[in-house]
Amino acid sequence: MSHRLPPLPGEWIDRQHPIDALFEGDRLPGYLGDTITSALWAAGQRVLGRSFKYHRPRGILSFANHDINVLVQDGQRLNGRADVTPLTAGMVLSAVNTDGGVRGDRRRILDFLSPFLPVGFYYKAFHNKRLFPFWERMIRNISGLGQIDPTTPHIRTAKRYDFCDVLVIGAGISGLSAALTAANGGADVVIVDENARAGGSGGYQLGGDWSRAEQTQALVDAVQQHKRIRLYTDTLAAAYYADYWVPLVDGERLTKMRAKAVIMANGAYEQPAVFRNNDLPGVMLASAAQRLIYRYAVKPMDRAVVLTANFDGYRAALDLAERGIQVQAIVDLRQSQSSNSLIQALQARGIPIYFQSCIYEAKGHPTRDGVASAVICPLDAEGVPQPGFSQEIPCDGILMSVGWAPAANLLYQAGTRMRFDDAVQQFIPDQLPAGVFACGRVNGSYDWERKKQDGDRAALDALAFLGFSPSLPSIPRPAPLVEESPSHSYPVVDHPAGKNFVDFDEDLQFKDFKNAAQEGFDNIELLKRFTTVGMGPSQGKHSNMNALRILARITGKTPGDVGTTTARPFFHPVPLSHLAGRGFTPERHTPLHSRHASMNAVFMPVGAWRRPEYYAQPGKSREDCIRAEVNTVRTGVGLIDVGTLGKLEIRGPDAALFLERVYTGRYSNLKVGMSRYALMLDEAGVVIDDGVIARFGAEHFYFTTTTSGAAAIYRELARLNTLWQMDCGLVNLTGARSAINLAGPYARAVLSKLTDLDLSGSAFPYLGVREAVIAGIPALLMRVGFVGEWGYEIHVPAEFAPALWDALLEAGQSQGVTPFGVEAQRRLRLEKGHLIVGQDTDGLTTPREANLGWAVKSDKPFFIGQRSLQAMASRPIQHLLVGFMLEPTFQGTPPQECHLVIDGSDIAGRVTSITFSPTLQRYIGLAYVKPSLSTVGTSIFIRLSDRSMIRATVSPTPFYDPDNTRQKEPLLQRQEMAV
Amino acid sequence: MNSPLRFSAIHDAVRSLPGLWRDINGMPTLWTLPDSSPKTIGIADLSALTRWGVKGAQAADWLSQQGLPIPEQPNTWVPLPEGGLIARLGRTEFLIEDSVGSAIAPRLAAACQSPPPKVYPVLRQDLALGMVGDRLPDLLRQTCSFNFQALALADRPVILTSMIGVAVTILPGELHGQPFYRIWCDGTFGDYLWCTLLDIAIELGGGAVGTELVQG
Repeated sequence: MSHRLPPLPGEWIDRQHPIDALFEGDRLPGYLGDTITSALWAAGQRVLGRSFKYHRPRGILSFANHDINVLVQDGQRLNGRADVTPLTAGMVLSAVNTDGGVRGDRRRILDFLSPFLPVGFYYKAFHNKRLFPFWERMIRNISGLGQIDPTTPHIRTAKRYDFCDVLVIGAGISGLSAALTAANGGADVVIVDENARAGGSGGYQLGGDWSRAEQTQALVDAVQQHKRIRLYTDTLAAAYYADYWVPLVDGERLTKMRAKAVIMANGAYEQPAVFRNNDLPGVMLASAAQRLIYRYAVKPMDRAVVLTANFDGYRAALDLAERGIQVQAIVDLRQSQSSNSLIQALQARGIPIYFQSCIYEAKGHPTRDGVASAVICPLDAEGVPQPGFSQEIPCDGILMSVGWAPAANLLYQAGTRMRFDDAVQQFIPDQLPAGVFACGRVNGSYDWERKKQDGDRAALDALAFLGFSPSLPSIPRPAPLVEESPSHSYPVVDHPAGKNFVDFDEDLQFKDFKNAAQEGFDNIELLKRFTTVGMGPSQGKHSNMNALRILARITGKTPGDVGTTTARPFFHPVPLSHLAGRGFTPERHTPLHSRHASMNAVFMPVGAWRRPEYYAQPGKSREDCIRAEVNTVRTGVGLIDVGTLGKLEIRGPDAALFLERVYTGRYSNLKVGMSRYALMLDEAGVVIDDGVIARFGAEHFYFTTTTSGAAAIYRELARLNTLWQMDCGLVNLTGARSAINLAGPYARAVLSKLTDLDLSGSAFPYLGVREAVIAGIPALLMRVGFVGEWGYEIHVPAEFAPALWDALLEAGQSQGVTPFGVEAQRRLRLEKGHLIVGQDTDGLTTPREANLGWAVKSDKPFFIGQRSLQAMASRPIQHLLVGFMLEPTFQGTPPQECHLVIDGSDIAGRVTSITFSPTLQRYIGLAYVKPSLSTVGTSIFIRLSDRSMIRATVSPTPFYDPDNTRQKEPLLQRQEMAV
Repeated sequence: MNSPLRFSAIHDAVRSLPGLWRDINGMPTLWTLPDSSPKTIGIADLSALTRWGVKGAQAADWLSQQGLPIPEQPNTWVPLPEGGLIARLGRTEFLIEDSVGSAIAPRLAAACQSPPPKVYPVLRQDLALGMVGDRLPDLLRQTCSFNFQALALADRPVILTSMIGVAVTILPGELHGQPFYRIWCDGTFGDYLWCTLLDIAIELGGGAVGTELVQG
């Protein structure tokens, strides 16, 4: 039997387009424009889902995107909210959280076990360590919503940015009015609404008065036609972030909206009453019934009892009566009201009104799939029900219209100070942040005219804030409603048999709150966590206010004193695909990346860079490849891409002085054509970076930083240059220049084929720097020895790097030149005893501890970190970086970086670097040890992960070529140009 | 023929595209693609155009002495009479980019071998892209948090911002009545930027185009 009403003006369904779907095996007819819930209800289905904990049958509650007991699965799409998900042809739907379908759910037995599942069950169950696995297994088996299909294709949901002057959140009466006024004032306006169409309650809370719907539609039409207004429907403003950033979520994507002002016209959530069996299918909020009627032309029930505490309930009753539904009774929690047009209209229809009465309980059919009757009784002067005077009214549906809670989540996130207003019995904005405005129900304005006026007022305030000159005069905030409060102060009825639900997400009953408070969880934050109220998918939109009122009543406080909990962004669930969006992870490649790839490089991440760890060779293990690369550099010639190094340039009369202030060394005496190690400290005297400074002219230096430090060091130096106002200019060339290190005994022979530069040791000594042309490419050459062999760091404009790389490989063919990767470089430098900042230092390491005292020229007038070093100079040192070696015969698992050095039973240090040296044929490393263990020859003990101890011997560094003979020629003559 | 010396930062990403390649200033450049039908978004590699930068308190005066028009306001640009453009990046930094036919940047670089006081030459090795098409605003809305729609093109604005996590300089304009944006970024982000923008452009009905189409 269809429960579809005859066509209604403005209905959202298109009767010309019938569609078919399947719900749990049964045909589900509907129309284009239907939601799954509206189609099911029209088809006579009353049990739409099962509750989360007790698996009780549930139907419609809010019909406003918060019916989380009615989640459905459609193929690979999980947990769709049936109350708002459009019905589409061919859907194959099933309710989630059932075992055997929504009607025959075998887990409904849990409802009978509910006495054994008290409030705080999870905490109590998991308190016992021994039973933890038992409960975990059981709960994991029972819980879980929907069936994940791991073959579900990745759905790409690109995010986007959008901009406007004024963002209006909520396209109800106040929001529409605000949007029009703001746009008429010259602002570029975006108005968003989570519903499929604009109009809000103006389209369904009619009380039988069509003129309200027409007035609302006129507003919608005006907004749609306004050239400065963009109306986004089916779009949820899901959070508020600083500076007017609001993520807008629609079916396709997440849009990051950047507004200049925000008007919150979010409206309010209708709140349920608490009475026994208030969750039976057929018990619903009055606004839900009105939406069913006016949007989808579905009859909510045939015979209704309306529980109310405001005149919205009366209007809902009239809407039912207008559609031919028999209203059995109005049960008003309030005392007798003076007669008005609504009361007279109902009385004229013969509908009895029971003032100062409540619904004591709803009674269901024996099958529990719907309402059979409402048991009502009077309330005494204190609001306590008098069940002795109860009467039972047959009905198949109950409407609840007892109050509203402001949809103030975004206001809270914006930093609004809210206060509880006794007149409207809700929290309203007390102090709004600059540029944020509120209107409509969220602001305590409830009737049509007030909402419109409030929207106009908010828009004028926003225009004034943005500097527009509105033609309309400022409007004061509408006076609060005095003739009636839209919300009842305590719509809660106790019942000895319970099952009077406060939170429908988590199946929390009234008694759970009393018990929680009794156990000491008597403030709102504790109560929330212990009971889990408001922690379900609807995030307390229909439970927090009642929970707050109950707690206030229990503790003798006012709701304002109890306060509210924080609604964090996002306040409404958002698909993870929307949050993930398209992956934007910047990755840097040197200009030689494809060259490396073509030579079988195995890449490793180094910050944002991808660098070759080593070059794989057929039939060789990683270790063999790396050892071969090390051997090539030691005995032949290799080349490595070091383009990731930070590369900076400084020019100007104060350039040397500037460098002396930021680095620990002295550079004013550095000769043109030479380079020098550079060590940088922070203000605390901690080592933060190092590199090489090369002097190419009297006022021209070129210098490198570590790969990871490049961006931060440039930023800091630029900041200091601005601060100190020195006569010099910095240029960051990290990306603009590429660099290749050609190293090994044959490096000079290879390079000499490509340049006319005199490469002899006398003409181009160790640490010398030169400008030259290499293979036709203008280059800067630096004779450095990080890997401990004769070598050249060749810096060229990035666009020339591939050509240079090719030329070097070709020129070195006869010498067997091969590329080497980062891992071989690390081993080579460790053999040479060179530390790596960040690996062999940490956030506390000073130069003295790292044996870098030689690089610190303390007699300079100033350098960053100098004062801290002076302050620490007299203090005993805690640990020192030393070299160590394992026995040449060592076999087994070697120590790893970060393994501890143990002295007796004390921690005496830690390993920072360790590797097998192919050159020395033994394990070598660097470690921090306490000073008493730092003498060369001392045995130290390193504890492995399995707690076994390995003996090592403190050794002098460099391990390899301690006299630096690899950089010298017999007739070394350093020729440096005079500054 | 000698092997080329200059390579674009995205040479390897582009070289698989079929089309006519030309040598522009010593750099192999995809000049045209066989499919020349109009696209909703076309992205072309303009890295081959020569460019040069200079910064410092006296940079504007020095450039003026070299006969270049100077954009008066920070973050604006003006076209160069010989072709190409000069963009003022902040108060004291400038970017000069040639057109296909001009060679101002190399001339300036040569003239600044021994820079005068408070003039600091800047080696520019950017990835340079040109993007054109009526769906370009859609692409920008997915990749950049800057509101380009609020700009007045008559002011010749230059935007220094971040796009998909990469620092970029953007010069918005029009070409044949369609939105046309030039983008420069550190070439080491080139592969990432090119591939990401191209992916999105393809989704929006566009794709790569030859340099000829956007060289302006």
